[in-house]
Amino acid sequence: MATEQVVVAPLLVALVTAILTLVVHRYVRVQKVVSALGGLAYVGAVAMLIQRVRSGAGSHGVEGVLTYQLSEWGAPFGITLVADDLSAFMLGLTAVVSLLALAFSIQYVDEAGQRVSYHPLYHFMLVGVTGSFLTADIFNLFVWFEVMLMSSYVLVVFYSGPQHTKAALQYVVLNLVGSAFMLLAIGGLYSTTGTLNMADLARRLADPASFGISLVPVLGLSAVLFVVFALKAGIVPFQWWVPAAYRAAPAPVSAMLAGVVKKVGIYAIIRLYFTVFANAAPMDLSLPGVVGESTLAFFGPVLFIMGAASIILGGVAAVNRDNVDDLLAYSSIGQVGFIVIALAFAAGGVVAGWEAPDPYGSVAVLGLAAALVYSLNHALAKAALFLASGAVYESVGSIEFDDLGGIAGRMPLLSTGFFVAALSLVGIPPLLGFFGKFLVFDAAVNAGSNLGIGLALLGAILTIAYVTRAWNRGFWGERSEAVEQATPQYGLFATVLVLAVVALGVGVAFDPVVDAAIDAANAALGTGDYIEAVGLEESLTSGGGGH
Amino acid sequence: MTEFVLALVLGLLFALGTFLVLRRDVVRVVWGVSIISQAANVYLVTMGLLDGTVPVLEGHGEGAGAVTDPLVQALVLTAIVIGFGTTAFALVLTYRVYEEHGTIDLLELGGETDGN
Repeated sequence: MATEQVVVAPLLVALVTAILTLVVHRYVRVQKVVSALGGLAYVGAVAMLIQRVRSGAGSHGVEGVLTYQLSEWGAPFGITLVADDLSAFMLGLTAVVSLLALAFSIQYVDEAGQRVSYHPLYHFMLVGVTGSFLTADIFNLFVWFEVMLMSSYVLVVFYSGPQHTKAALQYVVLNLVGSAFMLLAIGGLYSTTGTLNMADLARRLADPASFGISLVPVLGLSAVLFVVFALKAGIVPFQWWVPAAYRAAPAPVSAMLAGVVKKVGIYAIIRLYFTVFANAAPMDLSLPGVVGESTLAFFGPVLFIMGAASIILGGVAAVNRDNVDDLLAYSSIGQVGFIVIALAFAAGGVVAGWEAPDPYGSVAVLGLAAALVYSLNHALAKAALFLASGAVYESVGSIEFDDLGGIAGRMPLLSTGFFVAALSLVGIPPLLGFFGKFLVFDAAVNAGSNLGIGLALLGAILTIAYVTRAWNRGFWGERSEAVEQATPQYGLFATVLVLAVVALGVGVAFDPVVDAAIDAANAALGTGDYIEAVGLEESLTSGGGGH
Repeated sequence: MTEFVLALVLGLLFALGTFLVLRRDVVRVVWGVSIISQAANVYLVTMGLLDGTVPVLEGHGEGAGAVTDPLVQALVLTAIVIGFGTTAFALVLTYRVYEEHGTIDLLELGGETDGN
């Protein structure tokens, strides 16, 4: 069977929940219940999809790659949705973070806010994220990005105070310009290659002569597209919207933006540049500093420079922030730098064909697996920390370091959650963060990049520095007056603790996670399987006769 | 000739949009963004080649000949709708910024301290 209905299950669940929460918006309690059930159902749908992908089911005889053709229009004419190990990994990460952030929101966001728009927006954002992870059509990717962004605009400006409107204005204008660029790149790619389907694009790029494609403009257009993804992921030099937006948004939304929405940019880079554009036939690049004839030979150094700059800028800026949210926002710029630099090693590995010890086989797989594990760690730990920041705000009434101090003695439950998540960010075994950092270092060593090792080391030291500072100023030391008078919100603390425990649990039982990451990396590099599973047809008539 | 004129117009539209985005007045910035996105739409239509005939005519009567690509037109419709929504939101946001700050001058907005 070419079409697998289970692929659209998470998408439908999120969409139906979003609409239902709109319908019942008059009844606040009902709306909360519907929203929470929708969040649970989303986790269930994702679990079902992951189980189906991991059990080796597949379309067109390819194991582990499920495709769904919208309205049974054959690819590349209709829109294709594809769920493979890479999509499944990202969806799994989304499901965990989104459910806990939702549980946090229900207690955290004020009643009036929840009644008006919070729940529908939250689920529509989830729809956009899910669609982006599943689609195999670049214009459709644009549409899902817009669905996601449109909801996130409103969520960023949710409190609509002076600072929030200012931050949202910046965020909206920047992303609107980004969307126009994405449209330009997509239009250009369509006119040079004649297709929008990612599998078809990969197939045509591999054999440009017979499709009459000139590869050099494709490289240029893919670079324009890259800018858009870098903007979404918040990599230097496109990082400056991040702190203001994260600070303005309600804590659970910041957790989603940092934990999940940023990863959509990372996913798009992996999917398009490693699965699609890397498949292009060798071309004469003759650019300064570029060795090799593959598109990844061009993007490898670009990724490296941007990742390195992100690690340094994010880390250094995070060290002397005045409040928890700013510190976490700059920290997530630095942490995404780690992910991107792992992608740079992977790109180098693809170009040079470096080998790595088992179970990875090649530096390409190792680098991608490192990026994915690190993404998962960042999603769990940073979401937990943002939720912790929200819980501190709700209990103490401030997140400025000057007002804080001695939370550890006053609210031990929250402090434990914060501490575990912070340790995971630093990378202390047996937490997931340790494996994330370890894999990034491993990739750097196997890629033979001394500069990369040095940068990762610097980033790790900076992480320790700012995490220690946050802990010292906020949680240890003399109890401040505000902390003394705080009213602990135990429901919120529980959510933080659960996320921290997940990060711990995933670290302790790391084997299935690393297996999933390696499979996802192989799926990202397995362009052949991807094309075969999508099952491209030569003409619209299913009999293949044509006219 | 058409291509040359179109390229010129597109270039001018993008230049105008960029010019407006760099203004101090928030309303002009929103105008600029919306002009850039409309220019992107026009660009997208031109990607489907302009010298063909209407797609539905294929197979009906003689001399239908080359067909203009209908796909990009469908894409542009989607993009226009999205652009409409986002522009409306950006304008509402501008109004909200004015309500909160009493100004829509970006320099004055930027000059405010983060404390409030």
